[in-house]
Amino acid sequence: MRDYLNDPSLKLRKERSAAATSRRPVVLALLFSALALALLLLSSSGMLGPTRGLAQQALGPVAQTLTAMRDGLGDLFGGFGSGQLQAENEALRQQVSQLEAELLKRNQAQVENIYLRQQLAIQQEKPWKLLGAEVTVRSSDAGRRVMTIARGSDNGVQVGMAVIGQTGTNPAALVGIVEAVGPATADVLLITDFGSQISARVIHDEDSTLGLVRGQWQRGSRLKLEVDRDSAVAIGDAVVSAGLSGTLNLPMPLASVPANIPIGTIEAINSDSYTQVAELRPYVDPDRVRYVWLILP
Amino acid sequence: MADSAVKRLEERIAYELLLIAALVGLALVQITLLPSPLEFPPALVLVVVLCRVLVGSRSLQIDNGVDGVIRWAFYGGLGLDVFSTAPFGSHALALVVATSLIALLTRRLQIEGFLLPAVAIPVGVLVYETILALIYALTVAPLEWQSYAGWVILPGMVAALVIMVPIFALMRWFIVQRG
Repeated sequence: MRDYLNDPSLKLRKERSAAATSRRPVVLALLFSALALALLLLSSSGMLGPTRGLAQQALGPVAQTLTAMRDGLGDLFGGFGSGQLQAENEALRQQVSQLEAELLKRNQAQVENIYLRQQLAIQQEKPWKLLGAEVTVRSSDAGRRVMTIARGSDNGVQVGMAVIGQTGTNPAALVGIVEAVGPATADVLLITDFGSQISARVIHDEDSTLGLVRGQWQRGSRLKLEVDRDSAVAIGDAVVSAGLSGTLNLPMPLASVPANIPIGTIEAINSDSYTQVAELRPYVDPDRVRYVWLILP
Repeated sequence: MADSAVKRLEERIAYELLLIAALVGLALVQITLLPSPLEFPPALVLVVVLCRVLVGSRSLQIDNGVDGVIRWAFYGGLGLDVFSTAPFGSHALALVVATSLIALLTRRLQIEGFLLPAVAIPVGVLVYETILALIYALTVAPLEWQSYAGWVILPGMVAALVIMVPIFALMRWFIVQRG
């Protein structure tokens, strides 16, 4: 067997070997690529789901411990160099957060009184039941925003359930939707993932507008909201889940997302000839949560 | 004769299992332990495998050249796939293709210092992230490529370059120590 890495090497731009090259590495690369492609196709057809679930179950405790270690170290280093300023900042944030929560509650109540009285009455009769879950792992993929939680079908978790979280003094808000469920773990597609789409309602004065919230990669404003061009929306408006698929009882993954879960506030608005696209800052940064609650149906 | 053949096979299997455990462990470190200043951790497995390619011309004592590196990439990719919602095999495919390409492009180059990895690592990240993006585009939702390049690929290259420096230096030192 010939080894490419042991070939007489060339100095860059100086020499070039005329030796014939072996095809073995190319063949091996093609072979392993084909193997990975076969796994990918099998996985797309759902055949590898149980295997991956077992692997997650086996590695889950280790992953959870390591994640907790990282978070602990983050807290340790985050605590240095802050002192009184950090405490004051925290107190001010808390005040702002309380005011925001009160304002949002009042705006919501106004809109609900006008448009959603009947629907709200039904929802109030069926208050959310919550199931707490620890975040085991966050996706390491630069392009995805997904996390794994330590609850699964054994705990009654189902695909499509809404997941809420709370960081610091922010109000509890939507962080994602359960995308896949194993016996002891579940994958949550975060609202900031580019594949996430949530029907939403913008609360503006005494009116409300339906729109679609999508994730995006940009830091800062992590979500974008698409609404009709003629809809009245303004910077600072609160956005909550519309719960449309839940109301209509559609057999869709999003059917378990209730209405009126806080999502975020509008930071900027861009209009084109057909739609308005608003930059939306989530109340809760899904990448920062360590413990979440699933809303059980 | 037969005993020694069996022993060699056992050693080979043990080595392979150890390699799988090491690379799955490395993937776990990437997923769980590495800080995420750019909101995602650096591609540790990719950088380690590519550094292994780039110091490979002196490292025959560690493994058997390109063949071994491709296996590193495959096992590390499977480790990343366990905790990913992308179809199983996505990371393995992206890592094997990126590693093979860099191995084939750099196999006849021998440049001392950090010039070669400083060029090869970003190219590897570009290939790796582009393959993952294609898989996302096919299986999740249409991609905004410009946004993906600006917010995912470029920061990914920078993060990989940052961790490349100590990893490459450590690997090269290790190779030199082993003579």
